[in-house]
Amino acid sequence: MIADTWLPVAVVLSSLVPGLFIFFLAESRVRLRTTLNLAGAFVKLALIGVMLWGVLREHAYVFTHTVLPGVELVFKADALAMLFVTLSAALWLFTTVYAIGYLEGAPNRSRFFGFFSLCVTATVGVAMAGNLFTFFVFYELLTLATYPLVVHRGTEKALRAGHIYLAYTLGGGALLLISTVWLYGLAGQVDFAPGGTLSALPPAMAGQLQIIFLLLIAGVGVKAALVPLHGWLPLAMVAPAPVSALLHAVAVVKAGAFGIVRIVYEVYGIEFAQSLALLLPLAIVASITIIWGSLRALFQDDLKKRLAYSTVSQVSYIVLGVALFGPVGTIGGIVHLVHQGIMKITLFFCAGNYAETLGIHKVSEMDGVGRRMPWTTLAFTIGAFGMIGVPPLAGFISKWYLGLGALEAGMPWVLAVLAVSSLLNAAYFLPILHRAWFRAPPATWPDEHIPARRGWETVPLLLLPPLATAAVSLLAGLFAASAFSPLDWATLIADREYLQWTP
Amino acid sequence: MTALALLPLLLPLALAPLLLTPATRATALRLAPWAPLPALGLAVLTTPGWVVDLSGVLVGVRLGLDATGRLFLFFTALVWLLAGLFARGWLADDARPSRFWAFFLATQAGNLGVCFALDAVSFYGFFALMSFAAYGVVVHADSDDAVRAGRVYLAMAVLGETLLVAGLLLAAGSAGTHHFAGLAAAPMSNTAAALLIAGFGVKLGLPLLHMWLPLAHPVAPVPASAVLSGVMLKAGLLGWLRCLPLGAQALPEAGATLMLAGFIAMFLGVAAGLMQRNLKVLLAYSSVSQMGYLSLGVGAGLLSPAGWLLLLPALGFHALHHALAKSALFLGAGLLHTHGANALRRAALALPALALAGAPLTSGVLAKEGLKQALAALPGPWPELVAGLLPLAALGTALLMARLIWLAWRLPAAADAAATPRGLHAPWLLAVLASALLPWGLASDETRSQAFELAMLTAASWPLLAAAVLAAAAVFLRLRAPALPPGDLLHPLAHRFERLRNARPRRPSPGTPKGSAIRVAPRAFGEILTARQTGAWWLVLLAAFILLLAR
Repeated sequence: MIADTWLPVAVVLSSLVPGLFIFFLAESRVRLRTTLNLAGAFVKLALIGVMLWGVLREHAYVFTHTVLPGVELVFKADALAMLFVTLSAALWLFTTVYAIGYLEGAPNRSRFFGFFSLCVTATVGVAMAGNLFTFFVFYELLTLATYPLVVHRGTEKALRAGHIYLAYTLGGGALLLISTVWLYGLAGQVDFAPGGTLSALPPAMAGQLQIIFLLLIAGVGVKAALVPLHGWLPLAMVAPAPVSALLHAVAVVKAGAFGIVRIVYEVYGIEFAQSLALLLPLAIVASITIIWGSLRALFQDDLKKRLAYSTVSQVSYIVLGVALFGPVGTIGGIVHLVHQGIMKITLFFCAGNYAETLGIHKVSEMDGVGRRMPWTTLAFTIGAFGMIGVPPLAGFISKWYLGLGALEAGMPWVLAVLAVSSLLNAAYFLPILHRAWFRAPPATWPDEHIPARRGWETVPLLLLPPLATAAVSLLAGLFAASAFSPLDWATLIADREYLQWTP
Repeated sequence: MTALALLPLLLPLALAPLLLTPATRATALRLAPWAPLPALGLAVLTTPGWVVDLSGVLVGVRLGLDATGRLFLFFTALVWLLAGLFARGWLADDARPSRFWAFFLATQAGNLGVCFALDAVSFYGFFALMSFAAYGVVVHADSDDAVRAGRVYLAMAVLGETLLVAGLLLAAGSAGTHHFAGLAAAPMSNTAAALLIAGFGVKLGLPLLHMWLPLAHPVAPVPASAVLSGVMLKAGLLGWLRCLPLGAQALPEAGATLMLAGFIAMFLGVAAGLMQRNLKVLLAYSSVSQMGYLSLGVGAGLLSPAGWLLLLPALGFHALHHALAKSALFLGAGLLHTHGANALRRAALALPALALAGAPLTSGVLAKEGLKQALAALPGPWPELVAGLLPLAALGTALLMARLIWLAWRLPAAADAAATPRGLHAPWLLAVLASALLPWGLASDETRSQAFELAMLTAASWPLLAAAVLAAAAVFLRLRAPALPPGDLLHPLAHRFERLRNARPRRPSPGTPKGSAIRVAPRAFGEILTARQTGAWWLVLLAAFILLLAR
């Protein structure tokens, strides 16, 4: 059927086409721009809905275009791709709504929304890439599309952060290119396939494959903010709040983590990776990142910076899950891809609300903010408790599966990592909640420019997205074992990744 | 059945947000004290043994009520109900009643929930809800002391819960299921047991994990202290009963350690409690001491599974007795402290105090006798140790209660009984009555008849008489108890911490306000205690020993 080939392309185009149009719109065409943005987001979600239904019934959606002989551009909608595509499309919708409210009256909005759409296009491309080459192309496109967003404000600080961001990510991209080409020399074009394809190579290549793995992980590890490659992330938080939200929850950081998932499961294959002794080092790197990120978060007064370090820590839960050999650990890692996204986007939305409404940028300015902005603070509270991993929120489900997965993989020390991380999470989130809910508010806020009006503590467009994502993170945890939950889908993926698994 | 099972949990949870919206606030405030009624009804009216599986919720939730859960649900719901009714009067002129009630109800939902939970994940979920929501209750007064106590409380609760998750994961990992039925059947490693013991031990105030108790209980509003000390501590006991392989697998090391910790808690609680001047702090230390009995019993169960059949009902009864007596004491102490004392109030305070001290014909004597008999079957040196130390602990509790009554006696007389807000007396006196009568109804016929035997009457009387003699001696000698700041060991720790902080260059650390977690004790412990007083105290201790040996 022709739709089977073109659906994946249509999903990519559904954000690319509106994005390109928006570049050429005059600043004043607010309504048309908004319509284009939202139409793109809804069309994308509708197309994804169709494909989800198909993938559930093991229907294959593949698009192939030969660029050069032996080099193909492949889009493929498998279960793993659909998980990431659905996450990014849904959160893109929320973020677009939020960004429309956030940037109301700000300059350069056409440029912003143009690149915003490109950024999502690249993310969807990364998600649906069917081979390493396609992955690389969109991974680099993502770098280029996000740079203008990071430096959007054009301040000295933003430009400097943008420089560092580019230096890090282009460096990572170079590593990825080198390793991709090296691998091409050994195995030809490497398609992503459940269980991986490299195990068919002669055993003599094992040494080379180990080095290539290191390079690949270092390449995508830059975006996934693995310590010590994480330096750009806390600086990039100078970007406007919707960009940070998208960067931390879906686009950049997640693309890196998703790359690690693809490389381990579908290039090497989890069982082959285990036989090459690659998983233990990966687990150790992830553990170090988890602890280090949380430790640094503890000492940040800037709210967004604290959240950024928290991202460093939380994204490595995904990497940790990938490194745990066994389906339960896999489920834990993959489900956290979704859970971390919805929880962290909530927190960044809220941080943006505080900044836009009251001019609050620092934790130390948050005294009593819960009385002025109860709904935003409620959403923040849900996000924070989710990060700590308290049931029934989504974060607990991730933690539970990661813990059980660690035991299944014979790595009980991971429990200690999870415990320390939970403690640290509590140590840097609970004081914020205490301030916000229990302290008396100051006489005047730092810079209040959105007054409370008719029962709305801030602009509805800013308030509703965090409430929606907070509700989703509650529901994703509370009904984790129900059909069509992120956990359900992650279980489906894990079932398809383990070929010869016997517990 | 599903709706029936969820109603007691959802009702307080639904009322909490209704309190925060102005339109529904008045109605919700009126309904709030009655929120535990469905739970109480369920505990009284349904036959235990029903199970409801909510397989789509979390990772598969199983709720239900077995005999143990029913007993816990019964006293938990009852104490919450009485405390709620008391709170209605107590908060009559509070500045922010709806905030208090919202946290009170959320804590309640968690506490009732643990009684229903039959799987590790939902149990932990309810437990966490209870722990976190209680923070709002602890800091309700918004004073510096309350905030400081709240911080210590929260830090220890988070620590406990972290240990708990690790322990539960280890247990569920080796059992292959998170349902308690499967957990009990699977072998448990010492590490998992240790994590679970410590994790729940924070709630139960195991020695070294007890510091939050004497800080948090006094600063919380009185009805909240009653539930905190009366029933929330028991949630930790229920956790042990649910998660540890009691009666199935022997874990001798863990059992022995827990028994020793129990003994230490008994005496540490008494010793620290005797040095208090604040009734509520004294009662909090008494809870630490009483929880020692429960630790002792659970430890014995881990040591020798054979005796568990006898121990479980003894522990359940002890928990019931303490829940009722301690909540009645907290309500009374709060009332007397704030609104003054009169003869009737002093008498009503003394009744549960006598029960706690194990006076003849009270629930305390039934509880202690039951535990003693169940412990007699232990192997090795334990029966001797139990026989030697339990009477001493009983003497300690009696002394502690004597001090409580002494302190209550010296409280200023009530200026005008009519000035006391309405609605305080009835729930308090109901609690006193419940603590005096209900345990009799729930005790077995055998123990009931035993309680009237002469041997038992005299055995129960002597610690009381000895305590009376010692107390009289102390009054006669004008002994002043040395003052120990609430939170005891935390003070030297905080002091050390403060010095460390000052030693290194200060860097602005956001989020943590300046100053240490605890205000350092104004004077060192040794300065408060003069040489003469030290000598006198040694005399008293010596006399106690002689009394014990001469028995």
